[in-house]
Amino acid sequence: MNARQRILTAIRGSTGAQRPVAVIAAEAAALLGRPEVARPGLAAPELREAFALKAAAVGTTIDHLDRMAEVPAAVRRYLDAQGLPAAVALQPAAALAGLDWGGIATHPDIAPDEAVGVGLAEWGIAEGGSLVIHSGPDNPVLLAFLTLHHVLVLREDRLLPHLEDYALAVQDNPQPRNAILITGPSGTTDIEGSYVRGAHGPGFLHVIMVRDSSDL
Amino acid sequence: MSAAAQPGFKARAAAELSNAALKVAIERTTGNAERKRAAAVAAFPEFDAARERGRAIKDHVIAHLDHYLEMFERNATAAGAKVHWASDDAEARAIVTRICLDADARLVTRAKSMLGEEIGLPHALADAGIERVETDLAEHIIQLAGERPSHIVWPAMHRTREQVADLFKAGHHPPPAADDPGTMVQSARRELRAKFLGADVGISGANFLVADTGATCTVTNEGNAELTTTPPRIHIVTAGIEKIVPSTAHAFALLRLLVRSATGGELTQYTTFHCGPKRPGDADGPEEMHIVLVDNGRTRMLGDEFREMLRCIRCGACMNHCVVYRQIGGHAYGGTYPGPMGAVLTPVLDGLAASRDLPHACTMNGRCAEVCPVGIPIPTLLRAWRRRSWRAGLENGVPRLAIGVWAMAARRPRLYRLASRVGVRALRLFGRRGWIRSLPLAGGWTAYRDLPRPAGRTFMEQYRANQAAKGARR
Repeated sequence: MNARQRILTAIRGSTGAQRPVAVIAAEAAALLGRPEVARPGLAAPELREAFALKAAAVGTTIDHLDRMAEVPAAVRRYLDAQGLPAAVALQPAAALAGLDWGGIATHPDIAPDEAVGVGLAEWGIAEGGSLVIHSGPDNPVLLAFLTLHHVLVLREDRLLPHLEDYALAVQDNPQPRNAILITGPSGTTDIEGSYVRGAHGPGFLHVIMVRDSSDL
Repeated sequence: MSAAAQPGFKARAAAELSNAALKVAIERTTGNAERKRAAAVAAFPEFDAARERGRAIKDHVIAHLDHYLEMFERNATAAGAKVHWASDDAEARAIVTRICLDADARLVTRAKSMLGEEIGLPHALADAGIERVETDLAEHIIQLAGERPSHIVWPAMHRTREQVADLFKAGHHPPPAADDPGTMVQSARRELRAKFLGADVGISGANFLVADTGATCTVTNEGNAELTTTPPRIHIVTAGIEKIVPSTAHAFALLRLLVRSATGGELTQYTTFHCGPKRPGDADGPEEMHIVLVDNGRTRMLGDEFREMLRCIRCGACMNHCVVYRQIGGHAYGGTYPGPMGAVLTPVLDGLAASRDLPHACTMNGRCAEVCPVGIPIPTLLRAWRRRSWRAGLENGVPRLAIGVWAMAARRPRLYRLASRVGVRALRLFGRRGWIRSLPLAGGWTAYRDLPRPAGRTFMEQYRANQAAKGARR
């Protein structure tokens, strides 16, 4: 008997005969019924406000824009405020590449010590102020980890209330290699419990929220 | 390392008790964790309902573990991952080492995983001549110190800032410019970056295995997991079979409990689902993904009274709230897992004969069960180990003799009352001003605390006298 058979046989010896798959599935679904009784409420009635409150609480900085076309100028403001040169690693996503970046030099490759990366969030989740990114041909995962400043553009129509709403929103899509929920800049408390930002990933997470992305 | 290879538990505990710096380090981290967890639970009024749900999800999965493991295997395989099964630690080590050697791997990066420690992965890689770089900051610290983790969430919590500074000065090139935590963290960031990008294989654990997608989930704060699993050509996941959940939504229900119970946060900075290797056209990611599903005693627990321990989601709240752990720290326990959950698991992993002291290192105050986010009755499970230890004849010497004598007397009421009458009178001879400060044969007790001087008459004598007095008044 190989290890797989040994393990499955040992399990069946303890749990008894398997129930019909449909019965197991129904029981699993019932365990998630009425999610509101077992999860925290939102920080504010309105999604964008609830998201912003929670994101700010974990150290994420936030800018609000009306339209996508204003994004390059907002990135420029951020770079200036941080005293950074006007050069960023840009996610090769159509929604970003199609913008007029004017005086900002953009490049697709990510250096080992890249200063700034600008990307597009797939979703925002108001419950904890999280941003979701999915890996793919137009989204290298390392953009979110090798950079010191991670700037994410979040379209407000991609805001979801709770974690379960994200699971529901993606359940019929093919799962990407990586689906990453980002909740604040990288940090550690491993030395005497004192909190330090920028452990291995970005020390700064900046979100540009765009109210109307129909000009995309 | 197994508990058997070290000095006895009592010797280890005594050594740790006299380590003043350790006490400071433990109190800082666990005290902080206790306060932050309490605040997080207070801010989440639905916590009890969430805990009940978490317990039910784990029980459901454990009752249908074969079904969900096969579902996970099917979906992970469909996503392009290779699923391996290991009955014990030796099989798991052999599988991981084989994958690394077949790939001619020289450098392996590893994101913190207690399962990896449990199966002895660090030593196995060293034995195979493969350079291993721990990327979690705390694991990096203990790798430089040549130590084992002392806590499942903060593996280096036994090290003070000054000690970390000394380790980094010797181990980092160039050494950190200052010894404040900020500067030291930056130094580790610089030091490890080249390793991340130069590794041939990245090894991680999993907080959850999601059955209906075939994804594994890691929960981290530093970003080291993604830097470990993305650049190398091969990503290996080692995970216990009990980590399975039916779906992503079930993982989220447990995540809310896990993070609040572990660190007092609501979510960790990174919650990442890893599903198969790099897809055609993907901008980055590994070419191969291997998932090693490890039993190592878990199916045995499924069949006995330790089944409820399979609910454990490794948050560490039980140790943060344990009066024994907070005195002796994690290393004294001797196994991979310290504290209350470790005292239940170590006898499973290392055998009861080598670890019978651990279930006794408990005051039964019940705080671990109170804070457990999935309702594991840890004191009950520790009592079960004590019972087994007694029945297996592992409890020898004075306790066994003393309980034997007591049991013999307790079955003979006249003898018992006589012995009690003599005992309480004899004990009075050793007392001064209401307290007994030293007693022959009881130095182990009186060295640390005084015993109240007995009243001079037994309970039964006083009870009879009281009853007689009442009768006389009537």
